[in-house]
Amino acid sequence: MRHISKMGIMVFAVAIVVTAITVGCSSAPLRTEASTSEIRAAEESGAAKVPQASLHLQLAKEELETAKGLAAKDEKEEATSMLLRAQADAELAVALSHGDAEKNEALAAVERVRLLRQDNP
Amino acid sequence: MKKIHFLILVACIAIFAGCAAVPPNELVNARLAYRQASAGPATKFAPAELHKANDALVLAEQSFQEDSDSYKTKDLAYVAQRKSQLAGAIGKMAADKASKDKANADFDKKQTEIVKQGKEDLNNAELQTAVLLGAMASDKANKDKADAEIEKQDAEIAKQKQDLIDSDKRTADVMAELAKLAAVKEEERGLVVTLSGGVLFRSAESTLMSSAQTKLDQVANALLSVRTRNIIIEGHTDSQGSDSYNQDLSQRRANAVRDYLVQKGYPADHIQTRGMSEDSPIADNASPEGRANNRRVEIVIEREVQTSSQQ
Repeated sequence: MRHISKMGIMVFAVAIVVTAITVGCSSAPLRTEASTSEIRAAEESGAAKVPQASLHLQLAKEELETAKGLAAKDEKEEATSMLLRAQADAELAVALSHGDAEKNEALAAVERVRLLRQDNP
Repeated sequence: MKKIHFLILVACIAIFAGCAAVPPNELVNARLAYRQASAGPATKFAPAELHKANDALVLAEQSFQEDSDSYKTKDLAYVAQRKSQLAGAIGKMAADKASKDKANADFDKKQTEIVKQGKEDLNNAELQTAVLLGAMASDKANKDKADAEIEKQDAEIAKQKQDLIDSDKRTADVMAELAKLAAVKEEERGLVVTLSGGVLFRSAESTLMSSAQTKLDQVANALLSVRTRNIIIEGHTDSQGSDSYNQDLSQRRANAVRDYLVQKGYPADHIQTRGMSEDSPIADNASPEGRANNRRVEIVIEREVQTSSQQ
């Protein structure tokens, strides 16, 4: 009896821990920091002024809102997965905004060389 | 009936198999994006990003194998597509940067060449300018020298002209003065002053009479104003007496006039004397008047200034 009650206590404790973890996870707030941070970085890098970057920035924002909506409906896994989309789009927006500037600078440099050679054959 | 059941079974299997084999659009796009990124500059310039894209695509493919149409598969495929695009964008950006760096290097190189060439051109231009300036200075010196020479020549010509004018004036003055004293005429050989022999010498003598000296003084004064001119003193006789006597007499009389003029200051080396005897009469020797006119001394003032020696 004493042995059984000891086993029962252990099973009960494990059950409590598992329940607590499960409840804790299910009630944990959606972690949007990474996506939000990347969206802000895209905005600061001027993505709104670059058409292609602007598109992905907009997608990232929409996906973030969608994720929040899913979280609100307690669809945590879908929400977390959707956040991955938002983060990926925001990262791409940052790169495209930088790439546009780099491309323009490269074109300007090439043009500068062309003009110099033209003026000094 | 069996055949119908078989066809239905095949159709169901085909539909099932087709549904299972059709990947979601997100995965199709992800595969395409990865192929494009792998074929672009990402391979060279963004291998790490391309590797992450590959990992993402592998996860999506695994999810597709496990649950082909789940939201998870679609989301992972979507992320894989974006990561492939990100790798492509970073690769393109790196390629652009390399292109920019190369262009800037080319620009610097070309600019250095231009500056170097410009310096060389400048040095050459300065050298040519120095040469030209040297040549110009030499030309100017030559020109100045030539101008000075011309100016000197002009001055000499002007002086000669003035001398000529003065000489002509003096000649005119002498001519006017002499015209008061004796017969004066212009001939081709010069100005000829004729002094009557009867005024200067006694008959058959070559010594000047004292009365003649006054007249010769006046002639000498007039001649001294043109003392640079050569003069010729010619003695002439009438036809009486022998030729040799007349020749000797005419020469002695010319010498006597010369000696007197030299005594008065006329340069001896500008005087020639000639005994002309009776060979150049100016009148008829048949009459006493004619013979008197033929006995004479002529002083020829030459036109040109010449160095002469006394005879």
